[in-house]
Amino acid sequence: MSTDEPNQQQTLDTGVDAALPPPQPGSQAATPRSFITSALRSVQQRSIEQRVLAGFGLVFAGILVISVISYRNMTVLIRNGQQDQRSHEFIQLLGAMGAAMDDAENGHRRFLVTGDESYLAAYHTLQERAPEFARYLRELTNPDSSQGAHVTHLAQLITQQLQDEHNAIELRKQTGYEAVRGMALAGVAKASLDAARKLQAQMEQEENNALAQRVIESTSTTRSSIILLSIGALLLFVLLAVVYYLIRHDITARRRIAEELHRRGELLEAANKELEAFSYSVSHDLRAPLRHIDGYASLLAKATAVSLDDKAKRYLHTISEAATRMGQLIDDLLVFSRMGRQEMLRGTVNLDQLIAAVLHDLRHDLQDRAISWKIAQLPDVTGDAAMLRQVFVNLIANAIKFTSTQPNATIEIGSRRDGPNDAVLFVRDNGVGFDMQYANKLFGVFQRLHRADEFEGTGIGLANVRRIIHRHGGKTWAEGTLGNGATFYVSLPLARPST
Amino acid sequence: MTLSKPIVLAEDNPRDAELTLAAMEEHQLADKVILCHDGAEVLDYLYCRGSFKTRLQGNPAVVLLDLKMPKVDGLEVLRTIKNDADLRPIPVVMLTSSREERDLAESYALGANAYVVKPVEFHQFLKAVKELGVFWGMINEPPPEGASRTAGRSA
Repeated sequence: MSTDEPNQQQTLDTGVDAALPPPQPGSQAATPRSFITSALRSVQQRSIEQRVLAGFGLVFAGILVISVISYRNMTVLIRNGQQDQRSHEFIQLLGAMGAAMDDAENGHRRFLVTGDESYLAAYHTLQERAPEFARYLRELTNPDSSQGAHVTHLAQLITQQLQDEHNAIELRKQTGYEAVRGMALAGVAKASLDAARKLQAQMEQEENNALAQRVIESTSTTRSSIILLSIGALLLFVLLAVVYYLIRHDITARRRIAEELHRRGELLEAANKELEAFSYSVSHDLRAPLRHIDGYASLLAKATAVSLDDKAKRYLHTISEAATRMGQLIDDLLVFSRMGRQEMLRGTVNLDQLIAAVLHDLRHDLQDRAISWKIAQLPDVTGDAAMLRQVFVNLIANAIKFTSTQPNATIEIGSRRDGPNDAVLFVRDNGVGFDMQYANKLFGVFQRLHRADEFEGTGIGLANVRRIIHRHGGKTWAEGTLGNGATFYVSLPLARPST
Repeated sequence: MTLSKPIVLAEDNPRDAELTLAAMEEHQLADKVILCHDGAEVLDYLYCRGSFKTRLQGNPAVVLLDLKMPKVDGLEVLRTIKNDADLRPIPVVMLTSSREERDLAESYALGANAYVVKPVEFHQFLKAVKELGVFWGMINEPPPEGASRTAGRSA
């Protein structure tokens, strides 16, 4: 368990890492503190899953260690209990044996005196049971222990006693009382009996000592088990509490994030609604005054057609033109805004078909123009077909527009791979081109690099291209030189090959 | 071709109204135009009530509706017309500044017969109004009076 403690410490202190002061250079505590700090930091870097897993790992390791130690202690206690049982039997058997030996000696002496063979019953009993006693004793002891040796010795002493007594009995039977009188008074097996008694006492003493030893051992094992289980349970409880805290902390954090996301979603929705209302208002209310300006200027021009001079007519015409242009700008801005909000319908887009359709749409702009087209075969991409059509309408219309001053106009449409998942598509022309120092302005809203009287347009086309391509996760960029053509690039995700 | 039925023009903005009437003038349609300044007035006309209590019975040739109007807006008027069996046959043309998709979708869903976005450029505006007036007032054959009832019952 002790090896788990540093980890335990880390887990507990996870939350206070920031509060720890940085290690003081040269101070005594520097080394351990910096160790703790770095350990804390390494825990802090772990994900919540790893931390919870580590917590549960420690809990299971703790349970395993406690189980192993408990099992070992229980085994010791059970073994001691069995040995106690054997010790008690052993001591009992020793007592029974001693009594049998005494009875045999006393009975045999009475026989020597009286010649009455009924007194020999105890002797015969001992004679019969001596091997049995020895066997039992051997069973209850370890043959290699000192008690084992004692048992062998005791068995010899019994055999000796029986032998001595047998000799005396035979002598009494053959020669009569007088020959064995001395023996009867003193006791033939006195020596061996005394030795046996002494040995029995010693054996009993040893067995009792072993018993006492085991009682002490069992008591201490039990006590250490209780302490260990208590500490283990406490540690496990703390670990589980820490894991619970971690999980709860994580759940709370996640809930907070979810709530925050929800709140932001609502804010975004509100902002979107506001934007929609705004562009609706622009669409509806801003156009009306412009219509009035142009309308009344036209009515005025008509009413004063005879009286106004050319200069005044030009002024009126300019008013009308300005109003019309502003109307166009508003329309473009609304389309641009709609491009950002409109839902995308993703699908596989066949660019070859799309380009053909775009060229068909632009055929009116191509009248009276000699353009040599180089259109390569294009890959299928993933995206919103209507939006991508808008992209290529803008890019190709630009190419047509900016080559209008070029007698031998060439427009090239091609593609190349960009990594495994993307395609880069380009539209190249040999038109008026642009200065690369303004390249970053090209895709801005209402940014124009040419005067209005050179090339018409509001400057929203490329902004729409960029917005649409960004919504597809792609990029837009351009290369060009002034007077020497331009190339516009867009990257788009390739269509996944159907399986 | 002479126009027998009036054209109802719902337009709250006096300038737009004047410009529209000026456009109508070019085809001698202006005197057939009944100008209403809000949705409520349109409904008053259609139901012959309020200031139109004494008007001649009969439905107009067409109703030109602006979307944004005080009191009752264009969509509300449209809904009322298309939910009334007697009024349902009247052609309704939305004439508005809005090109918003939801306005278009909602108008057609409610049963508008046409949807025209007022062009900013006056010449185009003239053309649009003129064509509207000529088509709905002269070319298009309006539903016969009374036919609406049977149509309404069967609907």
